[in-house]
Amino acid sequence: MTPQNRRKSGVPGAGVGEKLQIRHAKKDELAAAADLIVRTKRLNNEFDPLFAVVADAKPRAEKYVQAAADTPGKLLMVAVEGSKVVGVLRAEIRERTFYEPLMQGFISDFYILPEYRRKAMGNEMLEKASAELKKMGAEFIVADVPAQNEIANRFYVKRGFRAISSLFGKAP
Amino acid sequence: MKGTPTADSSRKALSYSKFYAGKVGFAPKVPVRSLEDFSIWYTPGVAAVSKAIEADPELSFEYTGRWNTIAVVTDGTRVLGLGNIGPEGALPVMEGKALIYNFLGGVNAMPLPVKVKSQDELISFVSALEPSMGGVNLEDIESPKCFEVLERLRGEMKIPVWHDDQQGTAGVTLAALYNALELTGRKLRGSRIVLFGAGAANVAAERLLVQAGADPKDITVLDSKGILHPEREDIDQLMLKNRWKYDIAIRTNGDRRTGGLKEALKGADALVAAAGQGPKMIKPDEISVMNRRAIAFFLANPVPEMLPDAAKKGGAEIVATGRSDYPNQVNNSLLFPAVFRGALDVRAKTITDAMVIEAAKELAAFAREKGISDHQILPTMVQWAVYPRVAAKVGQAAIRGGVARKKLSAAESLHTATAVIEHSRRVMSALRKSGVILDPPE
Repeated sequence: MTPQNRRKSGVPGAGVGEKLQIRHAKKDELAAAADLIVRTKRLNNEFDPLFAVVADAKPRAEKYVQAAADTPGKLLMVAVEGSKVVGVLRAEIRERTFYEPLMQGFISDFYILPEYRRKAMGNEMLEKASAELKKMGAEFIVADVPAQNEIANRFYVKRGFRAISSLFGKAP
Repeated sequence: MKGTPTADSSRKALSYSKFYAGKVGFAPKVPVRSLEDFSIWYTPGVAAVSKAIEADPELSFEYTGRWNTIAVVTDGTRVLGLGNIGPEGALPVMEGKALIYNFLGGVNAMPLPVKVKSQDELISFVSALEPSMGGVNLEDIESPKCFEVLERLRGEMKIPVWHDDQQGTAGVTLAALYNALELTGRKLRGSRIVLFGAGAANVAAERLLVQAGADPKDITVLDSKGILHPEREDIDQLMLKNRWKYDIAIRTNGDRRTGGLKEALKGADALVAAAGQGPKMIKPDEISVMNRRAIAFFLANPVPEMLPDAAKKGGAEIVATGRSDYPNQVNNSLLFPAVFRGALDVRAKTITDAMVIEAAKELAAFAREKGISDHQILPTMVQWAVYPRVAAKVGQAAIRGGVARKKLSAAESLHTATAVIEHSRRVMSALRKSGVILDPPE
């Protein structure tokens, strides 16, 4: 959903402060969630050219959130204010081969619209998602963010996370 | 706003610049009755003055010219409408600025274009100037670098740092807007204002308007990609690359407009364009969607975004430009000499937005006393009494804001500013009369 058609859909402007819900995404929220997923990808591209976003990111994102909502072992949570999706978190359970604990809750995408940041919403989403992932079998939680995204790195470190592996990239 | 080149002014500027080889220079302030006097002005006598200042560095404002000296610094990255022409290319502009500071504000301004490789180098250069300066005027530095540079220097220096392309332009725009609103029966609060262009001038204007009482929700700002709003596609990029524009996108535009200029102007009361060279950047049919009795300022130089006739045709009632050959010149030179005069007279540690707003209010009040109309919303530079008046208000605002080292009453502020500016004018008059400064050859 673009900002333009969000406005046409009758959502009142700048309604920060209405009752906020953090929960599993509903079917009619998937398009908005996909839009936010595309935004995270564009944001990642600000940090590294190896995160250049494909031209058809939108339809890919729609399939991606659909799968996250439908597939067991995957999680799609949204923050909703009124009827507007203002945040998204996608995660999945991954079983490791060699290490213990075996079951990890892997947060692959996490985005909150700018006006809703710095309002403790990120914290709440992370906690709810962690609890959800634990119920799904996760023994610990990891989050994937660009190495250069200091804001995201600080967010997790502040909440007790530590960097456990590094992914290095180079054109062949 | 800086001047409009015509064939005649360009020709004269070249030939006069060659003739005079510099617009400002150093002249002694003390008599040299005989060479003996150098034992007072220089060693050994001067050591006593140095020791006194060493014991109390504030005395440098009493015993030296620091109280009245500023640096006019640029890295030459955005000079006039010429772009990145380098520090040498910027030198004649900084000299001109220094001359205006001196003649209209009684300020000794030193032109200092510098060759720097980075933003940090520029910041450390300016910061290192502090011991010999009463203030610093930054000039012609590209956006968004200028925001970061000003913010950091304002934070770390104990003397005023001013970026004229931000605070000066925004301040004089606010003054013009006060009177335009007055003439059309409006108040700042409740007026819908569109800022077209999100460079130095309008980013500062947005902040100043809000500080002066405008409701940010009634302000809409556009950059080259259209209306700024909190969910624009590039909002995260703005957060990382231009947080000033990002903040504006988050706090303005209460009714979530999207799109371009026409969408922004629908039902607007005032437009401030500082967006780029005209004359057809804005079209009459865009102005025509504004409210009746619309106000429109076109600040780009030398060619305004739209010509006044076209704006009037589109329905604008009050039109201003940066040019002197149209009515209502929104001219920084009305403001910066007075702001620094006022700041220096009270030895201000900084120039706050409140001081700029006071300056804008006084500039507008002065014009109203002389009589305002749709083609006369600001004073002109020949009304030189406006400078001490504005300076006094700036000084008083500094004292109220707790940023002045020296306390003066309102009357003392006015008296001091008048005396210093008159002195500068007397110097010019005496130097011309005595033939030290010659009239240009024809």
